[in-house]
This record gives sequence, structure tokens and C-alpha cells, in this order.
Amino acid sequence: MNEISTNIKTTPNNRLRQWLFNPFRVVAGYKALLSGLAIILISALVGSLGNTHFDGVLDVHTGTEAPLWLFFAEGLINWICMVVPLFSFGLIVSRSSFRVIDVLGTQALARGPYLIAALVMLPDANRRFSIYVMSKLTQTASTATINYIDMLVFALAMIMTILVAVWMVALMYRAYCISCNIKGAKAIITFIVSLIGAEVLSKFAILRLAV
Amino acid sequence: MKILPSICPACNSQLKVKSLICEQCQTEIQGQYELPPLAKLSPNNQAFILEFIKASGSLKQMAKLLKLSYPTVRNRLDEIIERLKLAEKPNENNGKENL
Repeated sequence: MNEISTNIKTTPNNRLRQWLFNPFRVVAGYKALLSGLAIILISALVGSLGNTHFDGVLDVHTGTEAPLWLFFAEGLINWICMVVPLFSFGLIVSRSSFRVIDVLGTQALARGPYLIAALVMLPDANRRFSIYVMSKLTQTASTATINYIDMLVFALAMIMTILVAVWMVALMYRAYCISCNIKGAKAIITFIVSLIGAEVLSKFAILRLAV
Repeated sequence: MKILPSICPACNSQLKVKSLICEQCQTEIQGQYELPPLAKLSPNNQAFILEFIKASGSLKQMAKLLKLSYPTVRNRLDEIIERLKLAEKPNENNGKENL
């Protein structure tokens, strides 16, 4: 049975790569939707503990205190804003029939790496460094001071956040390709357009919600 | 049982059937016959189709059987459908592609 299922040899290395970069080969539909939604909500909860906002499909910002519901809303808005254009492009471009539950589920699961972003932004050093930078940028009178450890923690958190953002985009792209059965240039172009559109849409929606 | 080859090992073109034989009386029929579209598929794809029929054409059951996600199995089936469409157009395809 294995020979018809896949042409890829299932060595532990391949299995790990598959789970990291293409879990949708084995997980989609309701399973992906439930685990993806759980991850989005946990990320929002962890984000609320460190005041980390996911205020856009790709955005991670720290600083502002807000009610818990706003953190949850941000996570859900980001997810839906990505699903809508991808599903619409799928309907136009794909020659296959596909299920909306797969697009919803795989895109939710693809946001998994941002749980790591929420965790690395937890230390208070990030908030202190953000306040310090903001006071310098706006040239407001502030007693905010900075030490090297805060700076180092913030730099490491930034590097990690960039890495997980790249990982998340790669996952969202694979999720789109598999759930809508689109490949090649069509997939790349429609994904980039969707990502830009979703970023603008989510920014606007969250801004309206937060005001 | 030997696997029926569908692609020429020398030039990679589509093979045709030249003779058929009755094992009982050794009557041999010679000619030039097209392989049926399903026989033109790779053994791997033929196995997939066979399992798909055994699963009553249920993609969900196939996904469970192969331990793959539903869209992965559906994409694989779509790929095979494309290949079958190509196989049905022998003149356009001319068997240059391994199905």
C-alpha cells in the first residue's frame, strides 16, 4: 500500500521535514481546523500575557495593553483574511473541485509557528526595549532606560520572529497548493496577491476593531 | 506475474500490443493493438486506481487507507485523470510521456 501512497521514502528525516514544512499531506479538513483554531487561540492567550499583538496577517508587535477578546479577534481576523482571497483565487484558478473545510483547516494550522512568536515575545525585556525605542523615536520625555541584556533578548526575539514568519508563509503557501490543487506560477502569483491583500484587509479590520 | 510494460525502454515511446496468445490451444493473433488507457498508466497509478475502485470510489476511505489527507488523495486522483485524458489522445501524446 505504501508504494501507491507516496514516491517519497519515509525516512525519519523526511518525516520530520514533512511535519515541519508540509503537514497538509497528512492532515487537512476538520482535524486541521480544530488543531489550527486551538493554536490560534492559544497564541492569542500567550500573546495577551506579554501584550504581543498579531495585528495583521504577518504582524507581530509588542507594547499595548488590551482586553483579551481583542487578542482572540486579531488571531481569527488574520486567519479569515487569508482564507477569503485564497479560496476566491482557488475557485477562479484551480481546475479541481476542492472543499472549503480544507482551505479553512490548513490555513488555520499554517499559523502554528506564530505560537512560537508569542512565546519568544513573552519576556518583559521585549516590552522594556519597545518602550525605550518608542520614547527615543517620538523624542518624548521618558525615564525608560535600557540594558544590554534587554537588547540581546529583544534581538534574539526579533530573529526568531522573522524565522517563524518565513516558516508560516511557507506553510500557508503549501496549504494553499494542496487544499486548492494549484501549482507553479499560478500558485505563486495568486498567493502573493492574496498575502498582500490579506495583510491590508486584516490591518484595516483590526484597526477598526481596536479604535 | 510479469508487469506489462507500456513504455519502450529504448526510446521511451508508447508500446502497442503486437500479438495475443491462447494458453490453452496456442492460437496466436497478430496485429497492432492500442493498449487500453488504464494499462498506459504507471504501475503505481494503476495500483491507486485499483484501490480506489475497491474503496467504492470513496476519497475519504482512500485517505484513511493511505494515511494521507483528503486533498492529497484528491489531487493524486486529479493527476491520474489528467494522465488518462492524455492517454485517450494517442496522436497528440504519441506516448512520449511516461503516464
